Amino acid sequence: MKLLLIEDEKELALSIQKYLTGKDFVCEWVCSKNDAIDKISIYDYDCILIDLMLPDGNGFEILKELKCQKKTEGIIIISAKESLDTRLEGFNLGADDYLTKPFHLSELLVRIQALIRRKNFKGSNIVSYNEIEIDILSKAVKVNNIKIDVTKKEIDLLLYLIGNENRVLSKSAIAEHLSGDMADMLDNHDFVYAHIKNLKKKLSDAGSGEYIKSVYGLGYKWKNE
Amino acid sequence: MNKKLLNKTLSAYLVYSLLILLIAAPVFYYVTQKLYLKEADETLILHKKEFVQFAAPNMSESDIAHWNRFNRNRKINPVSNLLTDTIYTTTYYDTVEAELEPYRELHAPVTIQGVSYTYTGRINLVETEDLLKSIALLFFTIISILLAGLFFITKKLSQNLWKPFYQTLQQIETIEIDKAKQPGFSNTDIEEFNRLNTSIKKLIENNRVIYKSQKEFIENAAHELQTPLAVFQAKIDTLIQRTDVTLEQSEILDSLNDNVSRLNRLNKNLLLLSKMENDGYSDRETISLTNCIQKNLDFFTEQAKAKSLLIKMDLGEDFYTKSNPVLADVLISNLFLNAIKHNINEGQIIISTNKSSITFSNSGQAQPLNDEHLFNRFSKKNPSKDGTGLGLSIIKKIADINGWKVLYNYANNLHSFTISF
Repeated sequence: MKLLLIEDEKELALSIQKYLTGKDFVCEWVCSKNDAIDKISIYDYDCILIDLMLPDGNGFEILKELKCQKKTEGIIIISAKESLDTRLEGFNLGADDYLTKPFHLSELLVRIQALIRRKNFKGSNIVSYNEIEIDILSKAVKVNNIKIDVTKKEIDLLLYLIGNENRVLSKSAIAEHLSGDMADMLDNHDFVYAHIKNLKKKLSDAGSGEYIKSVYGLGYKWKNE
Repeated sequence: MNKKLLNKTLSAYLVYSLLILLIAAPVFYYVTQKLYLKEADETLILHKKEFVQFAAPNMSESDIAHWNRFNRNRKINPVSNLLTDTIYTTTYYDTVEAELEPYRELHAPVTIQGVSYTYTGRINLVETEDLLKSIALLFFTIISILLAGLFFITKKLSQNLWKPFYQTLQQIETIEIDKAKQPGFSNTDIEEFNRLNTSIKKLIENNRVIYKSQKEFIENAAHELQTPLAVFQAKIDTLIQRTDVTLEQSEILDSLNDNVSRLNRLNKNLLLLSKMENDGYSDRETISLTNCIQKNLDFFTEQAKAKSLLIKMDLGEDFYTKSNPVLADVLISNLFLNAIKHNINEGQIIISTNKSSITFSNSGQAQPLNDEHLFNRFSKKNPSKDGTGLGLSIIKKIADINGWKVLYNYANNLHSFTISF
């Protein structure tokens, strides 16, 4: 899959690029509006990440250009601006998702995956990992073709972990992901432990492998061994 | 107790007037009476002189009885042990008026046909007393009218004179430094008041400029921090992916992670406060706060579990209020968070609502909080706690925007925050 990152903050762009490159993704990076428009006109992407404040213009202009060219790429706005108006304008101009800075790289990755899944949706929407199968639409999880009983939060956590396979996820990143809009309210990450423990137990009870590893002092990691 | 400016002037006038009246009345009465007695004495002496000069030389002994018969007020008595004239005040029973009446009486030694007699002359003082009373009354009336007039004229005059001052005062009282409304001072023809108005206008203007720049500074600072924070966060996320991180390093990274999250929350709350102050949430809708509570209950129940807190709900009938929906959510979340954060392990949270208020009560430290600085930014007692120190000021600000009141109360080991509409 090809991604285009439009971001003028070099250090942030490099980190995003590094995190996203590897697993199925190739991430190209440009740091100005004009470069972005040049790239878009020539190539097709699966997903475009747009920062709104660029040195030579506004990210919204890129959205307008994409609309003009009748492109159907998935678009995620990544911006420090957080007002409802900016959000709405972004969605009106064809953005699919909006992520406010600062964010966890893991969060960005699962948002991109979810977006691409929605874009490529053909009748079913299933994520599978070895013996585990997650039906996103019907919110069902099967292990070795046997349905197991999980909560909405646990499915969310499972998708997040699998999506960030082989990457260490800090407790605060997991907590913020699970809390969604309420993330700003958190000051205690203890509930993450409870969720991880429950999920681990349900998976192992169903005969699945031990994929969730604790990383001492830091958090957790989904890893196939 | 504070007095009004006008009352202060008037009461000074009143005290002075009463004092003058109280002192003047007896003095006036005394002096008039003295003067009158002097007049009466002179009249008595004059009558005696007339008697000595014109009547006495031609009188015979038999005439004395006649004289006494026809003169009620001038008698001649045969007794004569007097050497000089004596005058005194006394009372007699008046047969005409049928009552005791005051008299001024003169006893003087006279000689008729070589024999010594006592001449007695007297004057009824009744009429003069009446006169005296009338004069005193007149004096009182005039003085009273004068003082009353003076009082009311001063009052009216002062009222007019101080009118611009009171107008200015009213303007200042309604001024809100965070609102754009300019004070409209009217021009007066009094130099001092014009000076006062100009200075106040300048003062308000200066304060506005300072307030505005401070507000902008906070907003800009918070905004500018977003990007470096994003880089910071991304770098930590990248760093923890390394496989050669030692245990010691991972502990440092974990702490960095927590603190960058905290910084992030702090920044978002500051932005929220700035935005509220800039009227960023002025659109209001009819909402149900009970719904807001129910909506957030799951999330906070999960958070409360970490401290084994018991949440008791006592929700009254559902009711509707006007507020910006985003702010209503933020308000309820902050109340929840506050009740969880400052709670003790295995404590409790009681949420109760009725038509005019919502109360969040929680167990916590066993002494009431300091009321005064409770809602100030960053006034938290324990700075090492994870909180941002902005929760209560956000609650207060949202209540202010919607015209609600926030009350803090400590009773039965429960800290209660009540929002009343």
